[in-house]
Amino acid sequence: MAVQTENGGAQTTTTTSKQSSSPKKVIIDTDPGIDDAMAIFFALKSPELDVIALTTIFGNVQTTTATVNALHLLEFAGREDIPVSEGSKTSLRGAVKDRIADFVHGKDGLGNTYPTLSDRKPIDTLAPDYLIQKVNEFPGEITIVALGPLTNLAKAVEMDPTFAKKVGQIVILGGAFQVNGNVNPAAEANIYGDPEAADIVFTCGADILVVGINITHQVYWTGKDLEDLGNSSSKFGKYLYKASHFYAKYHREAYDIDAIYLHDPATMVAAVDPSLMTYATGAVRVQQEGICRGLTLFNNTNKVWHDPTDWCGIPPVKVAVSVDSDRVASLLKERLTAP
Amino acid sequence: MVVSDGEATMDAANATGGFAKHPPRRKVIIDTDPGIELIAGGHRAVPSGRVSPGFGFGEASGNLDLGAWCCADDMMAIFMAFQAPEVEVIGLTTIFGNVDTDLATINALHLCEMAGFPEVPVAEGPSQPLKRVKPRIAYFVHGSDGLGETNQAKPKGQKLPKSAPDFLIEKVAEFPGEVTVVALGPLTNIALAIEKDPNFAKNVGQLVVLGGSFNASGNVNPAAEANIFGDPEAADVVFTAGLNTLTIGINLTTQVIFNEQDLCEIRDSGGKYGQYIFDCCRFYHDWHLASDHFDGIYLHDPTCMAALLDPTLFTFKKGAVRVETEGLCVGHTLLDMGLKNWVGNNPWIGVPPIDVGITVDADGVRTLVKKLLCSS
Repeated sequence: MAVQTENGGAQTTTTTSKQSSSPKKVIIDTDPGIDDAMAIFFALKSPELDVIALTTIFGNVQTTTATVNALHLLEFAGREDIPVSEGSKTSLRGAVKDRIADFVHGKDGLGNTYPTLSDRKPIDTLAPDYLIQKVNEFPGEITIVALGPLTNLAKAVEMDPTFAKKVGQIVILGGAFQVNGNVNPAAEANIYGDPEAADIVFTCGADILVVGINITHQVYWTGKDLEDLGNSSSKFGKYLYKASHFYAKYHREAYDIDAIYLHDPATMVAAVDPSLMTYATGAVRVQQEGICRGLTLFNNTNKVWHDPTDWCGIPPVKVAVSVDSDRVASLLKERLTAP
Repeated sequence: MVVSDGEATMDAANATGGFAKHPPRRKVIIDTDPGIELIAGGHRAVPSGRVSPGFGFGEASGNLDLGAWCCADDMMAIFMAFQAPEVEVIGLTTIFGNVDTDLATINALHLCEMAGFPEVPVAEGPSQPLKRVKPRIAYFVHGSDGLGETNQAKPKGQKLPKSAPDFLIEKVAEFPGEVTVVALGPLTNIALAIEKDPNFAKNVGQLVVLGGSFNASGNVNPAAEANIFGDPEAADVVFTAGLNTLTIGINLTTQVIFNEQDLCEIRDSGGKYGQYIFDCCRFYHDWHLASDHFDGIYLHDPTCMAALLDPTLFTFKKGAVRVETEGLCVGHTLLDMGLKNWVGNNPWIGVPPIDVGITVDADGVRTLVKKLLCSS
């Protein structure tokens, strides 16, 4: 891809033959993270998307590490035209995050591969301000793909009352709908990372599409798939093969499987081609107290509640309920092994 | 064999032909909140704007002055237990839920007498949950004037002088490992027994619970099922206490349905409960139509009783269950499905596993319920 100018959305259409309409302007809110790296590379190789920025957040790593990793991944991809805006270092309510998933993604977030980092710096504008700025610049046109805790988005919602209406769509990797979580039986990691922020975002009235681990636990690459990436002629494939060793080891220990779940990449596929999943629509709330802190609870019934509930009057969101997992996994593999 | 008068009577009523030829029956205590609502003059508060005119509730003040309606599924479950030859009901304990505890007690006495088992003892439980004010679970609306102004016969029997938790403790100590407790309401009595007697948990043969909603919506709100919502702290105590526990949630019971034809069959079966069940269920049926938009009644409590009588109609997942006691999901039941080796500690680790119903042979349960309710 030959695009080197900032915000080069218009040019990307010239490099894509498949796409008739102009690509979606996408901001990826991310905490890279091995599967974040996969999702970012996949987005950069997808003609349907025009990645206009990365914003960073804690989660798989601390926010500062997320920022240097985001800059590194863009440099590796030859896309230093894409700005990185650093996000919140604490949760919405100011909690310093102590749960960082270094046991999943390595100390460096990239499978303990410790790559040479970029000299480039993040832009001066912080992530919530940047998000507000961009949705106001392109009202109705920006898709935010949120791959980590939702702190930056919640801050944007709180700071700008028009944010929810101006954002085109928010595609979220988060939650566990009618299944166990992955941090504990109740909670999925991204939502657990900032439950208060998640509840604000899910109830803000924006066009929201949520992909939970009920979906992403169906989308995986086997050890063989990873070897195919390593043996491909794609620099992305080789990079991800190397970075995935640590991630694959975690999957063997935690899940007894010789495979890795494609959480973030599957969510990016929902932004590229939503027709590979089906969705149910209803109010989602997030539990903020107690043993189920971080639980996402979806009202997917048409029951008439006798007494008003905390789900009544909440704008509905789209929750992915089924996925064509073979096609999602193969689309990812296809684009990440292509030269 | 020395049997008490009560046991002899029950045996005769079941016409089983004497103890000697049969294996010992399972001793069962039913902990229940039977909501027979007694209505004077047919007046009843109807939530405005939620019930379509033309269905039962809309017409209640005009046509439907039957004198009694009830939370039909508790009643059906109790009648099932009385009818099942392999079960000996050794007592009922009462709890709030569908109705207040004192009314549940009167209703339990009434049901025992109706069923021809007036000697079965009824012990009353507390009127409040362990730690909170009783939530208003308004599925069933009280009659304006209570028992006094109806034609319903008052029960002749009296409740036991001892409390429900004490009765439970005493009975499981008398027959250690032999008593099955079936809990059809909030779990306050069971939690109190566990807290009062350290031996209770190991003396109970089995605890069969109707409660929770596993990987499915609740019925009080999207997070919570009514029985668990009624006393979430008690439910968490009971589910984590290490009893041999089996729980049937509304993820299963909402799959087991009687439609109008099933109810007519029961009415016309010639069984002694037929007409009574039909009358009670008509109201329940109309409520479901208005509330859930479907033509049928959920067999919540009967499905739970079926799990006791024939567990092969179900599949179960064994795992730790915790109950949320805070926040907007209070009353939510959460089962660790055991699919992951957790990193670090969490509130489910170290909790003794219980059996949670995951699938049900709905037709099989319906057939069993119908068979027991038509026979008499």
